[in-house]
Amino acid sequence: MDLSLTETQKLIQDSTRDVVRNSFAKDVLLSLDDRPVPMTDTLWREAAELGWMGMAIPEAYGGTGNSLTDVAVLYEELGRGPVPGAFFSSGVLGALTVMNTATEAQKSAWLPEIATGDRIMALAITEKRYGWSPNHVAMEAKLVDGSYVLNGTKLFVHDAASATDLLVMARTETGPSLLRVDAKAPGVAIRVLPGFLSGVTEVTFENVSGELFGTEGAAWSGFDTALRSAIPILCAYKVGACQALFELSVEYSRERTQFGQPIGKFQRVQDHIIHIVNYLDAARWPTYEALWKLDTGQDAASSVHMAKALASDGYLRACDYTHEVHAGIGVMREYGLTLHTKMSRSLYHCLGAPKHHRKRMEHALGLVPA
Amino acid sequence: MDFAIEDSVEQSAFREEVRAWLDENMPDGMEFPVDPGDLTLEQYQLRRELGRRLGAQGWLYPNMPTEYGGGDLPVERVVILHEEMGRAGLTLPPYYDAGGRMAAPTILVWGSKEHKNRFLPEICKGLVRTWQLLSEPGAGSDLAGIKMTAIRDGDHYVVNGQKIYVGSSHGADQSWTIVVTDPNGDRHKNLSWLMIPMDLPGITVTPLNLLTAGGEGGSGCGHKNTVFFDDVRVPAENLVGGENNGWKVATTHLEVEHGGAGRLGDRQVIQDFIDYAKSEQDGYAPLESEAAREALVDLYIESEVTRLFGIRNYWMSQTGQPRSYEGSQFSLRRKLSGLDIAEKMLEIAGPYALTNDATYGPLNGALELYGREAITALHPGATTDIQRVIMSRRIGIGRQDREKAGALR
Repeated sequence: MDLSLTETQKLIQDSTRDVVRNSFAKDVLLSLDDRPVPMTDTLWREAAELGWMGMAIPEAYGGTGNSLTDVAVLYEELGRGPVPGAFFSSGVLGALTVMNTATEAQKSAWLPEIATGDRIMALAITEKRYGWSPNHVAMEAKLVDGSYVLNGTKLFVHDAASATDLLVMARTETGPSLLRVDAKAPGVAIRVLPGFLSGVTEVTFENVSGELFGTEGAAWSGFDTALRSAIPILCAYKVGACQALFELSVEYSRERTQFGQPIGKFQRVQDHIIHIVNYLDAARWPTYEALWKLDTGQDAASSVHMAKALASDGYLRACDYTHEVHAGIGVMREYGLTLHTKMSRSLYHCLGAPKHHRKRMEHALGLVPA
Repeated sequence: MDFAIEDSVEQSAFREEVRAWLDENMPDGMEFPVDPGDLTLEQYQLRRELGRRLGAQGWLYPNMPTEYGGGDLPVERVVILHEEMGRAGLTLPPYYDAGGRMAAPTILVWGSKEHKNRFLPEICKGLVRTWQLLSEPGAGSDLAGIKMTAIRDGDHYVVNGQKIYVGSSHGADQSWTIVVTDPNGDRHKNLSWLMIPMDLPGITVTPLNLLTAGGEGGSGCGHKNTVFFDDVRVPAENLVGGENNGWKVATTHLEVEHGGAGRLGDRQVIQDFIDYAKSEQDGYAPLESEAAREALVDLYIESEVTRLFGIRNYWMSQTGQPRSYEGSQFSLRRKLSGLDIAEKMLEIAGPYALTNDATYGPLNGALELYGREAITALHPGATTDIQRVIMSRRIGIGRQDREKAGALR
């Protein structure tokens, strides 16, 4: 038993924290939030040069082949921002999906470019009948003259507007298949959805031909494997976010005075912060246990589902309680808290909402006859 | 990170050794009543016998130093001992010894060399059973407000007062006790700790009739008591940690009691309940309904998070990590998730969860007991409210000066 970070992980933690502090300071995050695509080329390049997008990719394909826990430590720091952008979509979910579905030739072609940040992948999975299981995939890819042609709409797609390539889950003759589409191809229309979300889009396809990734009709199981590894990294991002909310609330409880004393002297205010730290730790330890199981080749299914249920719920609730602590100033955009609030909502359903994962746990725990 | 509690070749060899040793040394005639309140004197004595045998191996208090009768074992081996005792339906120590569990680490930090030599080996070798006496009728959450006095008189302290919600069935050899040594002194500067032999004249132990014994004592706890002290003369050399320095000493004691030392195992009833729910009971399948399956997943998640907090605290205390709010957070969580879990059990098993009837009671009555214990467990070692207060101070909510965690060795 050793719950400490390795020397490598401490290095990742320290260096990433510096980068987030310097390059993604609050004013930068606020200005990114004003853009339809919450990232600039300069910042993306800087992150790419730091190797962020190559961490989950094996050395043989141009990455650095880090453990999932290493990658999670990076994302925990990004979550503290919260740093927006397609880092996770491309460098983790995209890379792992390619790893687990594509042919050898496709891996060799795409993974090195994902690692350098030159290719940016976004996964287009969900549709109007929203859900994260294969039977929620209704959009079809029809074989016309030897190539697959897509028509239809993908909805609540994360980071499509900053992507160079879309990996689209669509139904072919034999089942769900994954097709790569150039994000700038004619017939592809990407619309950033307005509202209480960040970088989430509608993507429509009109006679767009796609390149089949891996085996036709058999993409879901590979994607599901990729999801299993990607989910706890997204959870780590939420853990970092909760940590930041906790620290912000404690600071504020000391500085803000009402009735002639710091508000943190009031037990009702203390209770809000205790809720935050409880949500934080309830998300943190299941997340890192799931990562450890994955890194050591153990069955991690129920751990992963549990981590996602706790982290999605925890981030949302931690934001709510942070607002209770902060009251008026918490909803002033320039204060920065609402960046988290919006992100906690944006990511709540991404890769499956808590209810979905609790449902999956019924199977993982053998409560439902197979 | 590495969450593995065993697995290396060396560790599995140790596990085998422990299993074989327990097979060999488990006293004949041991029975395992579901409700520890049912433990007979004979059964208690068999557990003490096992305790002495464990103690002779350094396995009763495996993380204490060997020079004081402990095993000085690394964390992985301590975990294995706890797990194997759990597998055998017992805890470590295999009888209620809360006074020993709290006093030993406290004396290790605050006791003189003489105190350590005199008290620790007896505890660690299982030669004595120790209660802890803290609460009084007028001082529960407000521990510093206790009234029981110990007034110096020559080479003795004369003790007068009452303690409540303490101990177990079948008595104790000694009690680790917080007392007022300076009735006119300032709050927090008037307290001391005494190790009181329980055979001194003037001590009266009266059993209490509670919903369950509850508490953190482990198996074989039995019933709780109230204890009266009438002019009890305790040798002055039994005062540990300095006269009127008791509040500082208490920080170590309470750190252990509040979960700072972490907890491993104690999930057997959860696993048994999941197995029970999955099986069909005389034509009644608890998990037939979707709502019951959802409730079971909730229950499982609750218990898993609690387990992980326990592992985290155990690792932190065993490896000397700086600790802050984590002890009280664990205690708070155990209390609240206990209630949640009991509610889910009720939801899933229906009214069966409420009976220990020989015909209808699930898990030989363990389920019924869990429902009662979840309630009783709300107060021992400080209420949920007090745990929140401690967390706030440790975190430093509303204050720059964060209260420090109690010293563990």
